[in-house]
Amino acid sequence: MSTSSYAHPEVLVETSWLADHLQEPNTRIVESNEDILLYDTGHIPGAVHIDWRADLQDQLVRDYITPDKFAALCGRNGITPATTCIFYGDKSNWWSCYALWAFRLFGHTKVKVLNGGRDKWIKEGRAITREKPSIQPATYPVPAKRLDAEIRAFYEEALAFSKSGKPLIDVRSPGEFKGTITHMPEYPQEGVLRGGHIPGAKGVPWKLAVNEDGSFKSVTELKKIYEEDCSLSPEKETVVYCRIGERSSHTWFALTYLLGHKKVRNYDGSWTEWGNKVGAPIERSS
Amino acid sequence: MTDRGPSGATRLVPRSNDHRDMADNCSSIDTEKSPQEDGPQTPLPRKLQQIVELFQSLPEEGKRENLILYADATKKHEPKDGESFDLEDIRKDEECADTVGVFLKVNPEGQALFRVSLGPHVQTLTRAMTAILCRGLEGMTPQDVLTVPSSFVPQIVGGQLVRVRSQTTYYVLSRMKGICKVYLDRKRMAEVRKADFHQ
Repeated sequence: MSTSSYAHPEVLVETSWLADHLQEPNTRIVESNEDILLYDTGHIPGAVHIDWRADLQDQLVRDYITPDKFAALCGRNGITPATTCIFYGDKSNWWSCYALWAFRLFGHTKVKVLNGGRDKWIKEGRAITREKPSIQPATYPVPAKRLDAEIRAFYEEALAFSKSGKPLIDVRSPGEFKGTITHMPEYPQEGVLRGGHIPGAKGVPWKLAVNEDGSFKSVTELKKIYEEDCSLSPEKETVVYCRIGERSSHTWFALTYLLGHKKVRNYDGSWTEWGNKVGAPIERSS
Repeated sequence: MTDRGPSGATRLVPRSNDHRDMADNCSSIDTEKSPQEDGPQTPLPRKLQQIVELFQSLPEEGKRENLILYADATKKHEPKDGESFDLEDIRKDEECADTVGVFLKVNPEGQALFRVSLGPHVQTLTRAMTAILCRGLEGMTPQDVLTVPSSFVPQIVGGQLVRVRSQTTYYVLSRMKGICKVYLDRKRMAEVRKADFHQ
């Protein structure tokens, strides 16, 4: 499938390309998974592991790490602002898109995603290793700030979108959106107190953006899903959300990089904040 | 709801990918927590205690390496060709990312042998815990399996790895307890029927 018609085709790398460019200079391959031991069972040669919870999130407060910790994380993984990070992972790249989004929060611009992620790489029988790469530490200047205002939305902002009828995209499964279940399918231990969705949100499950092999759908298909069917447009503001922000990172990536929408923000507090919050308005639909 | 599995054992649920079916089925055989389950006095079986002690002696990196070794070993604990079981419980339910089959054989001495089959999408930590439990619970009676506390899990895995999205580390233990409970219930029923017949 050609990716040339995407708004930013350079952000997607294909498995075949990566297999031939494992030693590409100024490049770091980064694996981020939901399965926390998956990297240790075998990874793309040269890849480092960045853990969404231990590395990117503050360990006490529900928030991301501070800029100085981000600089330290990059430094120990040999990443500088000039390093192109190619993210890949399990679950059709949920967590790699989440890590990419977190890197963007700190202003790191040189980011790419391996189309199809870890599963596609493995299914194609490509090389994996358990050997952890020997990394020469680098110096990453501490970012001046996090770009929370640019690509992240908070509760009050999502509420304002709801009240003003601005586009809100709920990327969870239909059952979660309708409020018939209060957890993600297969994760009953992660429930919330109330089911439903943010009033006015449209339900567009993240999975609609990918093919069977986890690779992204064509630009024509993506435009149909998001622009024709949901009336999103490149210049309009959009807020996406799920439960904790990982599935919505995937949709944020598709909208921002593949369709070129310039004002998309990820509400990472998502339903675990909204569905537990006292007084938060909720809509249910059949 | 039951039929005969390939080994001749009673299968608890059909092999199905339908979530609704499985949710309905599993609700009937889930194990309720026994009163002593989380009690601090309940000792672990010897083999499991040895594994816990090994992990407790390891640094974080060593724990991870050993968990990977155990995860690699799960194939050894799959049902073998020609093996027969007293009970089979194969299902994909909401608590795990893929199908998990639990197979129970109880020998004439009343000791349990577990075999477990795991679908390809089961998380690595759950795979590791499967191999640990198959080894750690081998030789226990089904009754004693019901009393094994789940508090050993963080002792093995380490606090860092038990978190959101890794809670299925507890899942296989609950499935093993579930199949033991069904085994014991059926045994009890059979004894009652036998006693009634002789009266």
